[in-house]
Amino acid sequence: MMGLVRLARVELSRLLHRRAIVVLLAACVVIPLLIGVAQAIDTRPASDEDIAFAQRQLDADLANGNYERELRRCIKNPGNWGLASNLAEGDLAAACKEMVEPQLDWYLWQPQLDLAEQRDEGTGVAAAMVLAMLLMIVGTTFAGHDWASGSLSNQVLFEPRRARVWLVKAAVVVATAFTTACVVLTGFWLALNALASSRDVPHGGELLRSCLAMGLRASLIAAIAALLGFAFTMLFRSTVATLGIVFGVALVGGTLLAVFGFDANWNPALNVLAVIGDGFSYEAEIACPPGNGDGWCYEQRTISLAQGLSYVGAVAVAVSALSLAVFRRRDIA
Amino acid sequence: MSSLIIETSGLRKVFRTRKGELRVAVQNLDLAVPAGGVHGFLGPNGSGKTTTIRMLLGLAQPSAGTMRLFGEPVPDQLPQMISRVGAVVESPKFSPNFSGRLNLELLARAIGAPKTRVDAAIETVNLTGRDNDRYRSYSLGMKQRLAIAATLLKDPALLILDEPTNGLDPAGIREIRETIRTLGASGVTVLLSSHILAEVQQVCTAATIIGNGRLLASGQVDDLLGTDSVHRVVVADRARALEVLTRAGLTATVAGDALRVEADDAALITRTMADAGLWLSELTPLRPDLETFFLDLTADERLGATS
Repeated sequence: MMGLVRLARVELSRLLHRRAIVVLLAACVVIPLLIGVAQAIDTRPASDEDIAFAQRQLDADLANGNYERELRRCIKNPGNWGLASNLAEGDLAAACKEMVEPQLDWYLWQPQLDLAEQRDEGTGVAAAMVLAMLLMIVGTTFAGHDWASGSLSNQVLFEPRRARVWLVKAAVVVATAFTTACVVLTGFWLALNALASSRDVPHGGELLRSCLAMGLRASLIAAIAALLGFAFTMLFRSTVATLGIVFGVALVGGTLLAVFGFDANWNPALNVLAVIGDGFSYEAEIACPPGNGDGWCYEQRTISLAQGLSYVGAVAVAVSALSLAVFRRRDIA
Repeated sequence: MSSLIIETSGLRKVFRTRKGELRVAVQNLDLAVPAGGVHGFLGPNGSGKTTTIRMLLGLAQPSAGTMRLFGEPVPDQLPQMISRVGAVVESPKFSPNFSGRLNLELLARAIGAPKTRVDAAIETVNLTGRDNDRYRSYSLGMKQRLAIAATLLKDPALLILDEPTNGLDPAGIREIRETIRTLGASGVTVLLSSHILAEVQQVCTAATIIGNGRLLASGQVDDLLGTDSVHRVVVADRARALEVLTRAGLTATVAGDALRVEADDAALITRTMADAGLWLSELTPLRPDLETFFLDLTADERLGATS
């Protein structure tokens, strides 16, 4: 046990002394930070200056005659505006005015910070995906450097138990990835929550807990991505080959599976989203049931968290087992 | 426990080339390296030396045969004895962006060696002052010295050195040679794989020569080279000396400005010549050197390789 801990410390030192890895870990902090800052700016409340500017635009549009022309057209052809043509004259004029008269809000279009939206399909998901990608590259470059420099042979001369070498390296990669993602995403959500609190929009309580839980699930995905990057590179002995395969699968994997007739619940990306989002719903194209026409109909389907975890976990275990088995038998140059 | 430090029996390694062809790198190799001293491991390029070393160290899997280090089967028991085996295999391999010192520290920590051993190893190979420089900035000689320093981290009982003087300048070669000789004399068994036969002859007490993955010769260097039975004799009156030696039953021929005389005992030559009133100005044993022996032994292999 002491030997394992000692080896783990050595591998952690090796990992953290790699400049490329330090840069990637820094990017893991900086990019979500930028995403959060951009979100804060996009959803900032309108300032007095913004309101004054919007008022000037409104006044200009009301003065240039376009509004009156639109109002007349609406009253003449209310159907074009989706209004019923049988409205009383006064009601029609009021309805048209409501439809076409410029409002100050139109010139102050700024979304409100919505933690639930960010958690389900906004910047939270984006930050999680960026982290998974960066940490996958961390796992890849960690193993790739050992092979490319040949230093792995030297390491094996000091610790010939190859399974131990593989497992300790993998554990260090997974722990680093999980810790990094966990810290970054927790910080991300706490910062957004504080911002929401300062703007007096929904925050805290159950909403915050669900955001933090999403961060935890996304950290798990990031750790698995790092493990896959490491395992593939130990298998192919090449960073480039691993990146090519992983990005290839990410980009066209789902399409290829669809071409070969697999249901979308086999799509790797959707299963990852199911883990991050505590389930993922999609519309599946199916043959219409009898009585609903001859064409294709859409059916709402859901990949549950458990299904997503099983899928991602099975892939991680299979790739890791293959990588470990090959590494134990392989000749090291 | 066996007195042999390295022992292989029927060792065989077959590679599959990229074209799918099978290539036998080592075939039925029986290697025996006794404890202590410096043992040369010689063979032409591609003869299977490095492959054999890599199999002994667990870097490559043998296709057949058995191997033992310190009497224990490897690779099964390798983890138990790896701390007693230092090795440099082919070119030095370290992380290029780490300093020489950091590379050594990481290896030392992996086996629980104290930091002082890193300092000592760096000092032994004369890298003090450059140890904090990046490995990629090192010359080939410095890289080689760092690799040797790495072997010293373990305080080994067996050192396996594959071309350890590659890239070293003459002074560096001399230093390493002295280090190897000192280690051999101190009880460490050294297996030295080298192309520089003069170096092997200077340093090694025993040698194994392989070709095409097969054992060609093995034993003490003196035994391999034979006794000093041929002598160069320089004398003023060569014609008379030739007649006297032949009459005494010795085989003698003229070789340039000297005579080439075969005699198991050099004293027989001096006595025969003195009895005839002939005085020698030079008597030198003509001992075959390792290079000649090696080239004769591996001539077929090299012909095969070039044909």
